[in-house]
Amino acid sequence: MLRIAFIALCLTTFLALPAFAGDKAGTDTPATQFVQKLGDKALTSLTAKDLPQAERAKRVRELLRSNFDIKTIARFALGTSWKTATEAQKSEYLDLFEKMIVSTYTERFQDYSGQSFKVTKSSATGKDWVVSSQIIQKDGPPVAVGWQVRDKGEGMRIVDVTVEGISMSVTQRNDFAAVVQSGGGKVDALLASLRKRCNINSKKG
Amino acid sequence: MGLDWLQGSFKHERRGDGTMFKGKKLPQQIMVIAMCIFLSLGVTGCASSVDPGAGYKSGYVADPIEPINRGIFAFNNVLDIIIIEPICTVYNFIFPSFVRDGVQNFMRNLSSPIIVANQLLQGDLKGAGVATARFVINTTAGIGGLIDAASATGMYYEKEDFGQTLGVWGLGHGFYLVLPVIGPSSGRDLVGLAVDSYADPVRIWAENTDHDWVYYTRVAVEGLDTRARLMKAVKDLRSNSLDYYAAVRSAYTQKRYSQVRDENPDAASAIPDYDDNTQ
Repeated sequence: MLRIAFIALCLTTFLALPAFAGDKAGTDTPATQFVQKLGDKALTSLTAKDLPQAERAKRVRELLRSNFDIKTIARFALGTSWKTATEAQKSEYLDLFEKMIVSTYTERFQDYSGQSFKVTKSSATGKDWVVSSQIIQKDGPPVAVGWQVRDKGEGMRIVDVTVEGISMSVTQRNDFAAVVQSGGGKVDALLASLRKRCNINSKKG
Repeated sequence: MGLDWLQGSFKHERRGDGTMFKGKKLPQQIMVIAMCIFLSLGVTGCASSVDPGAGYKSGYVADPIEPINRGIFAFNNVLDIIIIEPICTVYNFIFPSFVRDGVQNFMRNLSSPIIVANQLLQGDLKGAGVATARFVINTTAGIGGLIDAASATGMYYEKEDFGQTLGVWGLGHGFYLVLPVIGPSSGRDLVGLAVDSYADPVRIWAENTDHDWVYYTRVAVEGLDTRARLMKAVKDLRSNSLDYYAAVRSAYTQKRYSQVRDENPDAASAIPDYDDNTQ
């Protein structure tokens, strides 16, 4: 009887171990640490309600530049138009894109009413990690946010953010493509639209 | 849910003769459904030959009637801004979150038969078991569905509908469609909507017992609950997109793609590794 119990114990331990190890590898990896650290930093430094708008924007820009691969995101968002754009158009586009992202996130953090940010797991897919997290809201259901993290040798950088199954980069790419298309296939139409948006937002701020 | 703009005409016809279940209605509804299936199959064929590699993960969906869709979208947007959004703001303000959660739980519980049926049609026996257990637990321990007691035992709600079932069976979106009031849809999802509302036990009961108002109220409350939970998301997308219509179309297509796959919502996007030396 004792022997059977011993064998059973060994078996369950043996069976449970890999699962446990896998779980540990999934919740505490360099990628999850990176995202958790970024999330904590963002929440402590960006969400204070009395922070002046300009200061908040400055901090968002700094966090963005050191943690996101903005150029890859911007280039992906421009889609096939990247190839037809001139150097001048590309550099203006990259500049406007960053401005737009900064103003978007500055606003989001200003309105942020979440209570906590919790990284749940990470998985490796090809050259990237995808880190899953949840933003627990004060008023409403938790929001599932995924972070696609890539390391090209200069440290980890985020290349996409997914909210409830919807990729921000993909949505932006489709959005921009529609603007280029309705502007007769011209990148200038997109640049004009981006300029307009950045102006509106800088006035609001 | 909400296909009434399509069915309205024969509904009144049926009312006139007093008896409840008439042969007339069924063939007509089947014809509408058959027409939709035909439409969505036909256009799927075209779409896949145009863009085989794009896939819905990329947010791409054929939109052959874009000018009409944009018109309906603009109408819906105005309707939302002047009527629906203000109602939702008031709703969110007046009712504490536990009341609103109760409403959502009740509505979800009411759609359990449709969820179970679709899980079965998709061959997801585990999902069907979970949905059935949820229905039993929430209807009893959850006081008629007001409390989501089942989620405390790890059995979470999962939205399933016939549009997803068709997707699991391998049918693509067909084409993008914006429905008046209801909003984003597709050829496939319109068929799904028709089948789900046709098979819905609540609708069948309500219509056969002359309690149609129950069904309409339910559809309205479901819509209100959904929209009221999307206040921030809609505001965000509206102000942060350059072409709101295109952004919503992309988001809808991606969302449905991940629902059909029952996918981890955080699946990776296909973002290339651009070589910075070659511009």
